[in-house]
Amino acid sequence: MGLLSIIRKIKRKEKEMRILMVGLDNSGKTTIVLKINGEDTSVISPTLGFNIKTIIYHKYTLNIWDVGGQKTIRSCWRNYFEQRDGLVWVVDSSDLRRLDDCKSELDNLLKEERLSGASLLILANKQDIKGALSPEEIAKVLNLEAMDKTRHWKIVGCSAYTGEGLLEGFDWLVQDVASRIYVLD
Amino acid sequence: MADADEPSSIPNSIPSDPSDANLQKKHASVIERLANRNQTRLENSITRRSESDSSTSSTSSFLDRFSDSKRAIESALAQCRLTPPDPAQLRSHLDGISTSISDLEKLVAESSYSLPSYEVRASLKSISELKQALDNLNSELLPKKKFSFKNKATKKDQKSESKDPGLENADSMLMNKQQQASYSARDSPGIRDKDGEILVKNFKGSDVGEFTISGLSSCEVKLIGSVRALFIHKLRNCKVYTGPVMGSILIDDVEECTFAMASHQIRIHNAKKSDFYLRVRSRPIIEDSSSVRFAPYRVSYEGIEEDLTDATLGVETGNWENVDDFRWLRAVPSPNWSILPEDERIDTIKISPTEG
Repeated sequence: MGLLSIIRKIKRKEKEMRILMVGLDNSGKTTIVLKINGEDTSVISPTLGFNIKTIIYHKYTLNIWDVGGQKTIRSCWRNYFEQRDGLVWVVDSSDLRRLDDCKSELDNLLKEERLSGASLLILANKQDIKGALSPEEIAKVLNLEAMDKTRHWKIVGCSAYTGEGLLEGFDWLVQDVASRIYVLD
Repeated sequence: MADADEPSSIPNSIPSDPSDANLQKKHASVIERLANRNQTRLENSITRRSESDSSTSSTSSFLDRFSDSKRAIESALAQCRLTPPDPAQLRSHLDGISTSISDLEKLVAESSYSLPSYEVRASLKSISELKQALDNLNSELLPKKKFSFKNKATKKDQKSESKDPGLENADSMLMNKQQQASYSARDSPGIRDKDGEILVKNFKGSDVGEFTISGLSSCEVKLIGSVRALFIHKLRNCKVYTGPVMGSILIDDVEECTFAMASHQIRIHNAKKSDFYLRVRSRPIIEDSSSVRFAPYRVSYEGIEEDLTDATLGVETGNWENVDDFRWLRAVPSPNWSILPEDERIDTIKISPTEG
């Protein structure tokens, strides 16, 4: 029995998924996590460090790591790359000026070998704000089509303010991760 | 010693020679041990003293090295500014300067363990000043590369455009100006590139999403009513007074400005010598900023109470003074921001809709 299959077996018992949420500051990562968990989103300070939320989602336990996106602490992201099943990249669709920043940070992230197996969900957040770019436009700017063919990815428009699109995104992510890890189910 | 003395007095009562000799041997060995210990202690203290000597000397040698390379970088920058090399070499030249700055930074990082914290702080500060100077030079001499679409993507879009020529959405608008296709050039609502003007906007009754204020100098901006998100970028010597922002405010690159604003979240990046009169639901944050001061929100216009209540900003939260400095993650208060003394605060800003 190989090491991989042992790991799979252990994970299957726990049905646990480790998910990393990253993105530029002000993209709404913490708000998304709290919204999914049905918590109050009206008082959220910019994240200094990280939050971990454990959410039961269908039959799976999601361990969501929400890491602060301020420039100063972006260099700490790599401390959270180990053993990720899913990666959520959050984009502030209304912040047109920093889209190139957003693209270069995402490109850097995807170069990371430790994350190469993780399914990638891109949330084009703040769709409720008038003037926000659509998920299609965001996909174009981020040049997602050019991504490595082996990567499982999807872009979904959402609003952490209204909650729209969040479930669609996480449904895909959980299904995709499950189909890779819990093959025998 | 006491151990050794005592047994040596015992032989009087117990006159047995062999044990006496034994005791004397023991005595001698104890004395020897003590002498040894003393010797090593002396040696240790000498090495320790020389170590501390070397640390002070390493500090001064570090300072010498630091100021040497700092001077070299500064003169390179100054020279570059006076007589810019031809454009082909410019980039590599600037890259060279940037490498030497990061080398300097590395030097500080390596020596930071042995340096007094004041020196570390001072040298980090001068490094960031050097970086700033290089950035300024960069933006002066090198035109900023604009974001543009890849050929592949535009071709596809042209196709879809031809299918639906009358499409008046943002997408097709963008395709029309493929060449300059920078998203910031898009007609998103905002105030941009003005000098010395008073600008009043009334959002009452209109549904505004994000709003951008950028590239202003010596302007006064007043916003009545509320918006969902506010982006502020590149302001010099400006005053900005706003109604409530339902979402977040992102401020980047401002100098000598005054802001009065209310919002759920406020992030302040690269601000210098600016005052902020805030009402915030959460903790405001600063990053790469210095000499910024904070005070409570003071803006009024007709109907502001209602707008504030609608944005759940009806009551003072006291968060205006709970500032987090992401560049100062220590227990001691950050030197980059302070509370604006009460006698230096401005009076309540009254905005009337007929202004401007």
